[in-house]
Amino acid sequence: MRKSFISGNIAIAEGAITAGMRFFAGYPITPASDIMEYLAERLPEIGGVVTQFEDEIASINAVVGASWAGVKSMTATSGPGFSLMLEALGLAVITETPLVVVDVMRAGPSTGVPTKTSQSDVMQVRYGAHGDYVIPVFAPWSAQEAYDLTIKAFNVAESLRTPVILLSDAVIAHLWESVLLAEPGEVEVINRKKPSSPPDEYLPYKPDNDLVPPMATFGEGYNVIVESLIHDERGFYRQDREAYRNLVKRIVNKVLSRVDSLFEVEAYYGDDYKYLLVSFGSTARSALAAARILRKSGIKASLLRLKTLSPLKLETLRKYCDEAEKIFVVENNMGKLVHDVERAAENDKVISLPLLDLEIPEPKDIVEGVRKWL
Amino acid sequence: MKIEILLVGRGGQGILLLGRVLGVAMSKYANLYVTGVESYASETRGGESRVDLIVSDKSEEMDYVKVLNADIALFMYPYNLVKYSEVLKRDAYVFINSTFVKEHPYTTQKVFMRPYNEVAEKVAGTSRVANMVALGHIIAKTGVQKAEYVEKALKEIISENLYDVNVKALRAGLELD
Repeated sequence: MRKSFISGNIAIAEGAITAGMRFFAGYPITPASDIMEYLAERLPEIGGVVTQFEDEIASINAVVGASWAGVKSMTATSGPGFSLMLEALGLAVITETPLVVVDVMRAGPSTGVPTKTSQSDVMQVRYGAHGDYVIPVFAPWSAQEAYDLTIKAFNVAESLRTPVILLSDAVIAHLWESVLLAEPGEVEVINRKKPSSPPDEYLPYKPDNDLVPPMATFGEGYNVIVESLIHDERGFYRQDREAYRNLVKRIVNKVLSRVDSLFEVEAYYGDDYKYLLVSFGSTARSALAAARILRKSGIKASLLRLKTLSPLKLETLRKYCDEAEKIFVVENNMGKLVHDVERAAENDKVISLPLLDLEIPEPKDIVEGVRKWL
Repeated sequence: MKIEILLVGRGGQGILLLGRVLGVAMSKYANLYVTGVESYASETRGGESRVDLIVSDKSEEMDYVKVLNADIALFMYPYNLVKYSEVLKRDAYVFINSTFVKEHPYTTQKVFMRPYNEVAEKVAGTSRVANMVALGHIIAKTGVQKAEYVEKALKEIISENLYDVNVKALRAGLELD
């Protein structure tokens, strides 16, 4: 391991490099731009390619293409750019293309406040594209976790053949922190399964028992087909209910069946509490400080921090919620994650604390919000 | 041990660089957990540049990323001095660049006022390294970090042809009373 003092955005870039990413396409947007800026210098040194395209639509489509060419690929953007990427994100879902999209959230809607932070893309990243699907979404709260979760994002993308979202925000992006970077071999790096059958027996969308089809790369002698229509195991268009159900259920279930390894939470003061704060990303840091302030004044508060926003394991959330008298969902938006917590807990216990701040929320604002209900 | 450091100046005074050097010295060489937040303005248009550094020897002490109770503060330019008194500990070390700041509202804190620009001009021939004079002064008076680690961090961050002039300024700061 190598210790460094880097920003959250650089940590994402370094995490992608550690995971084996060698193609990045993007269109600059604050507060995500310095990911591309940094990679533009770093990637060519190790045989990778960075390309700036004319917009976010072209960028993500290039990433889909590069992934099919056999290269681990990524793009990074913010809310407005992510909106443009949604169509191709659906393409990546149905074509089962491993890739990582970084969304560094800023205040919206639309162009909003470009340089200021937000957590308002929680719904967009999970549900923005049309059709039925589940995309894994990871949300770091520090530069170290930005690094670690980027590696995890690639490992999940490759092992499940799915797009994965890394959901950061403007605070994490420009936070400089001590980060341990791994040398090759020090962390697990997963690469996609290749077909083991001879080319004439290969069916590009025929899954193994793990619901994931081995992925052949163009130019390796296999017949490869990238089909956005509902298709069968051969990749041929089908419009019957059986093929439709087979494909969509498999695409959803290959993610949902891994919820145990995908869903990660961290509890602070989780052994003894009466009030539970639930939060994620940069806001969780303020929530932890708030829980400490509350505990100092004798109020038994704890924090449950979600590292994964999709898929959610409601049983895990329920376990923590059941122990609490009241649950405060602290997020820097108008209240989005709170709907999921409401599904996990008894409804009358859940209180939404939507902070809607342009800066990282101050702990005292959270403390005041909690105290009102005590 | 948790230390909160607030660094404030005008765009172009090298506040961000100062924060970066101190951050690298403390995280990479002194092996502490460090969080730094930057907010900045441009040199040509002016405006406030600010770095919040939170330092601890325990990772679990790291939470909120901005300074709420500064142990150490530096003001290179007279921006919001009264407002900042709300986030200074009663006995905080406060360093003030008297080249630009002529008076201050701090009554209980340990205040050091020195003309960092003039010192820089005198020892290094340019006031552009006034930030390093201030950094030297801070570490000498507070002991927050070893000069050796700061010099290592400088070497890592600053381009080779500018290293000498920066180290000269840093060392001059170390000697300030």
